[in-house]
Amino acid sequence: MDYQKLFESDINQESVKAWRAQGKKAIGYICCHVPVEIMQALDILPVRIRATGVTETPEADTWMSTFSCSFARGMLQRWMDGTYELDGIVTSDGCMMSSRSFDNAEYQGKGDGKLYMQIGAPRMYQGELERNYYREELNDLIKALEEFSGNKLTDEKLKAAIEKENKARGLVRQIFELRKAEHPVISGEEALKITLAHCDYPVDEYIAMLEAFLADAKNRKPITDSRARLMIIGSALDNPGYIKVIEEKGGLVVADATCFGSRPFACDVETKGDLLDNLAEFYLNRILCPRMLDNRVKLQKMIVDTCKEYNVQGVVYEKMQYCECWGGESLYLEPDLKDVGVPMIEVEREEHLANAGQLAIRAEAFIEMIED
Amino acid sequence: MSDKKVRDTRLEDAVMRGELSVFDFCCQKIEGQIERMKERNPDLLWTLDIQSVMWHNYRDAQKSGKKLVFFGGPVPVDIIVAFDCIPVYLDTIPIRLSPNPVLTGKFIDSAERYVPQTTCGLCKTYLGTALEDQYGSKPDAFVYSAVPCDSSRVVYPNMERIFDVPTFSFDYPYRRDARGHEYLVNQTEKFVEFMEELTGTKLDWEKLKVAMGHSNNTYELQGKCADLRKRKPCPLPGRMLVLNGTSNAMACFPEMAELLQKELEVGEMLYELGMGPCPNGEKHRAALLQNMLWSSSNVMDWLEKEYDTVAVMDAFGFQHGDLYQDLDDRHHCFTVMAKKMQNNPMIHGASGPSEHFVYLVDKIFEEYEPDVSMFIGHIGCKHTWASAKMVTDMIQDKYGIPSLYLDVDGIDGRYKSPDEIKAQVAEYMDTVVNK
Repeated sequence: MDYQKLFESDINQESVKAWRAQGKKAIGYICCHVPVEIMQALDILPVRIRATGVTETPEADTWMSTFSCSFARGMLQRWMDGTYELDGIVTSDGCMMSSRSFDNAEYQGKGDGKLYMQIGAPRMYQGELERNYYREELNDLIKALEEFSGNKLTDEKLKAAIEKENKARGLVRQIFELRKAEHPVISGEEALKITLAHCDYPVDEYIAMLEAFLADAKNRKPITDSRARLMIIGSALDNPGYIKVIEEKGGLVVADATCFGSRPFACDVETKGDLLDNLAEFYLNRILCPRMLDNRVKLQKMIVDTCKEYNVQGVVYEKMQYCECWGGESLYLEPDLKDVGVPMIEVEREEHLANAGQLAIRAEAFIEMIED
Repeated sequence: MSDKKVRDTRLEDAVMRGELSVFDFCCQKIEGQIERMKERNPDLLWTLDIQSVMWHNYRDAQKSGKKLVFFGGPVPVDIIVAFDCIPVYLDTIPIRLSPNPVLTGKFIDSAERYVPQTTCGLCKTYLGTALEDQYGSKPDAFVYSAVPCDSSRVVYPNMERIFDVPTFSFDYPYRRDARGHEYLVNQTEKFVEFMEELTGTKLDWEKLKVAMGHSNNTYELQGKCADLRKRKPCPLPGRMLVLNGTSNAMACFPEMAELLQKELEVGEMLYELGMGPCPNGEKHRAALLQNMLWSSSNVMDWLEKEYDTVAVMDAFGFQHGDLYQDLDDRHHCFTVMAKKMQNNPMIHGASGPSEHFVYLVDKIFEEYEPDVSMFIGHIGCKHTWASAKMVTDMIQDKYGIPSLYLDVDGIDGRYKSPDEIKAQVAEYMDTVVNK
């Protein structure tokens, strides 16, 4: 199996076209609280909407203004310019910016026959109350998707879909384990490309590529010329070029806390018991995005623990301009990192690499500081 | 030699040096304003009463043995009051300080060490005040909600850790139907337990009924004042719209209803006399599609004077009149609280799906019949900017009115001066409205 497609990080519509050519639906989803397992169980291809490769967003700017985060504008731009040929979009109420990408797409799409649906995902998770609310939202989603696809969801189908996604997550975790090595066989840029591929490919194809990569991993050349092991945290990062700039300066990104990176793969959905409860537990409890109100302490602890686990020497905290969600971690995180001897650099960015030169200079200075 | 009067800035200077708390500052300022008003315009003293009560409540609560509950976003304030605690609505602080860019600047700069410069000025000001430890009192509890926006979702959890006091958070559902309301009702029940633990007392339903009764009066009167604005000419000035925001903090206090009653009486009297805030008669009626211009509310006076244009309603001050019908029915009352929270300014139009925003602006145009449309957008409200085209397209398509787009910072006056704002509004008025 050729796994090279794992490293083609551009938005790939070939697999979507092939899927739809079979008369099946493919639906985009925004953010991290829409259970892809439900779509898969209904034989719908879930495609995570992203902005990778976008260089300008003129139409989206008109709708969302330049006071919006460029990732969110980039998603809308991709939707508007026809990069995506999908049968609809499902979103959860994530950050306000991504919600607005959806709102504008829905507004423009009135009457186009596509499915536009928003489900609510609680912003905190303390137990039964939030779980039940989210379950009701999932039931609405199931009903709408059944009607739209003409397929019926069963427990068996859902369990099978969960198992497949768990398998994919497990394989990604195995690959990420390789990054703990002193001389890993995979760079941070490549790691991000691998997780981005999950956005576009049918899960079976994705699993096959991951297995092929893992089988071949021992043949890959270890990276021996890096000067500092880094962790990257912050706003939605779907542009591997960003990490490339840092790695070209001698950094090696061995870990991350980003929503397109390792975090969605960090744990599995339980397959025993009530499956909707299990999905709720997974999607509301995993530590992924500061859109949750009650996960800050856990999120910051996870970052510190990851630094220790991966022998990280420095943290790059990238903040997308106008991304407030990921804007306020430094007050408590920086001292916590300092306590374990890990410095942190904060860099503001845009979706496209307009400031690559500046990033390169800052990354190099940071790496030199770590070396000293 | 300049004949300009030298401003007495001793209070401001003391705040800047960290020697005077924000609560003390606000109390002393309002006391000074009242003294001056007594001399110059005693008939208008009623406009200051509410502020005086509010700031003195904030400052003196703990001295009189009451617990101080800071809150951010919409929360069921009636319940806090029923427990004999004093609610402190965080938004009132930046709004009060905003006419002085130096003061807000101090706290905003402090906050920007930890949050992006693009964070909402309201949030930056109250985070900065906490970082500088300058509220003047440490809260006994902190209550916040998951809305209105990403800025608050970042700032509130940080403030929770700074305050390090018992804290309760409400999770707001995006949906405003029975499911969403029930979700909030269940959380309100938990909130009652939280307050019982905080105060060591059980909820006294009779006290809650008193608070809900006051709240009903306030919202009923606020609805009547809003209705008054539908008349032509609109008898009430644009800058009074800012009072609608105060309702969040003060609705369940009788003083708020007294203020609105007076506003209503004055408005009705002016209407009977055929008078309004425009000295040469009302020529245009403006709808503000976003916040009030807190940092430069004098622009409203200027618009009335220079362009005979009165702001008849703003999209964030336009509220539904959710009233309690049966004060003995606990579930009904908590459901109404849920609806009120979801219909609050900053919530109803801005935080959920954009369709609510479009719907509410449409209602404003239907009911208030403005012929001038201004999206004077606070830059901190990025999510409303991201809905602006949907809203203004609807206005253009349905009412044939082109909208002004103008970026301002409603709190940080350093972003754009009042003169700059006026120049841009004037250009729109001259070239589009009065062409």
